[in-house]
Amino acid sequence: ETKLTIANWLPPSHPLVSEVIVPMAQKISEVTGGEVTTSMLPAPLGPPPAQFDLAANGVADITFGVQGYNAGRFKTTNLAELPFLGNSSEAISVAYWRTYEKMLFKAGEYDKVKVLAVFTHGPGEIFLKKGDVTSVDVLKGQKLRTGGGFVNQIVAQLGAVPVEGPSSKAYELLSQGVADGILFPFESVNSFKLIPELSAAITVPGGLYNTSFFIVMNKAKWRSLTPKQQAEIDSITGEALARMAGQMWDRADAKGLDAMKGKIKISAATDEQLTAWKKALQPAIDAQIEAVSKTGIDGKAAHDLFMSELAAASK
Amino acid sequence: MALLGGILLLVMMTMTIVDVIGRYAFNSPLRGAGELTELLLVSLIFMGLPAVTLENGHVTVDVLTEHLPKWSERWRMAAIGVINTVILTLIGWQIWLHASQIAAYGDVTTTLRLPIAPIGYFCALCTFASAAASFMASFLAPSHSSIKG
Amino acid sequence: MQHWPVGIAILLALLFTGVPIAFAMTAVGLVGVASIIGMTPALSLVATVFFDYGRDYSLSVLPLFLIMGYFVVQSGIAEELYNAAYAWLRHRRGGLATATVLACGAFSSVCGSSMATAATMARISLPSMRRFGYPDHLAMATIAAGGTLGILIPPSVILVFYGIMTQQDIGKLFLAGIIPGIVGVIGYIIAVRISLFFYKGTLPTEPKLPLMERVKALKGSAGAILLFAFVMGGIYLGIFTPTESAGMGAGGAFLLTILLGKFSIKGLFEVLYETMKTSAMMFFILFGALTFTNYVNMSGMTQDIQTFIGIFGESRISLILIILVIYLLLGCVLESLSMIMLTVPVFYPIAEAHGINLIWFGIFIVMVTEVSLITPPVGMNAFVLKAVVQDVSLRTIFKGLAPFVLMDILRIGLLILLPGMALLLT
Ligand code: NA
Ligand code: NA
Repeated sequence: ETKLTIANWLPPSHPLVSEVIVPMAQKISEVTGGEVTTSMLPAPLGPPPAQFDLAANGVADITFGVQGYNAGRFKTTNLAELPFLGNSSEAISVAYWRTYEKMLFKAGEYDKVKVLAVFTHGPGEIFLKKGDVTSVDVLKGQKLRTGGGFVNQIVAQLGAVPVEGPSSKAYELLSQGVADGILFPFESVNSFKLIPELSAAITVPGGLYNTSFFIVMNKAKWRSLTPKQQAEIDSITGEALARMAGQMWDRADAKGLDAMKGKIKISAATDEQLTAWKKALQPAIDAQIEAVSKTGIDGKAAHDLFMSELAAASK
Repeated sequence: MALLGGILLLVMMTMTIVDVIGRYAFNSPLRGAGELTELLLVSLIFMGLPAVTLENGHVTVDVLTEHLPKWSERWRMAAIGVINTVILTLIGWQIWLHASQIAAYGDVTTTLRLPIAPIGYFCALCTFASAAASFMASFLAPSHSSIKG
Repeated sequence: MQHWPVGIAILLALLFTGVPIAFAMTAVGLVGVASIIGMTPALSLVATVFFDYGRDYSLSVLPLFLIMGYFVVQSGIAEELYNAAYAWLRHRRGGLATATVLACGAFSSVCGSSMATAATMARISLPSMRRFGYPDHLAMATIAAGGTLGILIPPSVILVFYGIMTQQDIGKLFLAGIIPGIVGVIGYIIAVRISLFFYKGTLPTEPKLPLMERVKALKGSAGAILLFAFVMGGIYLGIFTPTESAGMGAGGAFLLTILLGKFSIKGLFEVLYETMKTSAMMFFILFGALTFTNYVNMSGMTQDIQTFIGIFGESRISLILIILVIYLLLGCVLESLSMIMLTVPVFYPIAEAHGINLIWFGIFIVMVTEVSLITPPVGMNAFVLKAVVQDVSLRTIFKGLAPFVLMDILRIGLLILLPGMALLLT
């Protein structure tokens, strides 16, 4: 019998833990007939950016996290974080996984681990405390909280002022008026209890940004499993796990949207706004795709593959 | 070293102030202030380490050791100095390896895209210096630190 | 049963033979983790803890609050606070002791460390109390106990650490500490009265100052009040975040030093050098504790203690009482910072699982830590006083602290009965 240790850095009630990691752990045990079991550690082993290395170095057997916390390390992630990607986390996540399996893995970014899943959350929308949501210039000069990285560029390109801070500080920044608004998926606005602090939302078809996640396993531990056990675990991870995670985010987004009803005025971006924003963001988008080529795989081809997988998964 | 550390601290303090004032007065917060603070913080911690170690300033529990016979004190201090040296060397070595790992995959800060590895090497060097300091301090007179939590 | 009791026994052995707390915890943590997952991964975890936690933005408040405290000491605000309190109380029996409690409370609102508060107030109020013939046990105990307010009344280093370990909003924790801090001041004034009741000797008083003179004396405390209002007001009104408040407070204290004419380049660099050293010292204790925590985390100790606490029933109140007893016992022998580092990771998941508000729990933890600072045999604030005045025995200081410990325990009882004491302002 093999026991896998899972490192967790989120509260146990977070849906990523309770609706993805915990069910995954149960399935591992079920599908291997109890030969491989898991245990989740009660407290974090390291800060969020350290999670990938914790699995790579064998401190824990399974870890999960956000690639963006290690800027510069993951470039293929760029493709999954682009604006106007898609409205369904499930479709994006499945397409992202298929693209990873067919092409992105060649970039070698995950060579030190066994990848159990890569996926994204739902579309990131715009939430504001005030402002004329129909104006093309609604974002001009607004201080928007972001987690840093590419979304900072997005915010700056649209004429807003990025205020950086970890997501756990979002409430602090908004409630105290340090930030005027935030780019977040519906789920996060709800779960970080930001609804009372915001008055208006602008939804952008496909989202204005996205965030990529990973679930990985220590490679030596993976190799210590029998081929049969490996096959059994493969059957419930990979695309299946990416789909489960995507569905979780979609459910959480629906719940978040529901909680906002009557409290936040939600309006879709106008055609004028979309034209202006797409034009403003295109150079940054192109640069992000181009940067993927630095890993040795063809960024343009990878992006095209991702888009066709996304079209297929969205049907 | 003391001077450089002092300047880094002043920079850290000033950066917060400029960031906050910039946010209100000019609607433009200081870009990357948070991540600069992070790099300054870790540098500062490790820069202070050799000084603390050399002065035997690490916090100890001295309820029992106060009552030990005088002759044993030198031996005890020497033994503790060796323990400290070993642990500091281990820490320095691991941070060095960690830094080279970070360098290998090119980890940078999120906004300003500053490389992180050089700071890691610097911290490792400070830890090695502290290991040497601890070895030396174990043969000097003990002193006690003053301010804690 | 797992091998963590052995780990703890070895840790205590190392601590009591005088191995620095930081390195003892690192060593036991490293070896303990290695015994579970092997040496190579255990070593890599050391780098993660020391380098990656060292880059944690929220921890930057620590050096900044330290600078703020040092600047405050340099600016002479502490003397002003004491003189103001004294002007109002000098005609009462024991007025100097009461003034000391008030000044400690006021100074705590600009200084985040209990030991720094005790050390500063010892330099300022002890000479006059001794000159007026106050008995040693009363004079020393008043300062040692008053100093503990440093970590309850915001800003507070302990609350920052607690907030980071439990992912709670540090701003809310700070606000939650205000009312309990004021209750603490009142409690200590009562403790002074109790001491005076049992002290049969005479204590000289001075003639009552005219009202105008007393009002005038308040002027000197304006600097401290302004600084406190600036920091807490800034957080409350949302002008800056609690994390930023440390930098703003340090800048404000720096400005005050200049305005009060106490600025010198030499003094500035002394402050910065001390801050750098103290930061290194405190962070290495933190890293050591985090390394040890990883061992605790992997060893199954949390589950074992949960099971143990379960013996005493499932109710919230029995859980809190058993945690209180454990803390009071641990607090006798452990240094405050290391106690927090060692125990919070064990208790907060248990508290959270029982639906206890973690902001309230943070204040509870700080209060029991305050007790630990003034109980024998390891009472850091008593040690500070002993270090300042060598010719008084620790026994005398601890004896004088008895009524203060009593008031502390009553205050904890009050916090348990009236959770609103902490949660009202949050
Ligand atoms: Na304080
Ligand atoms: Na004690």
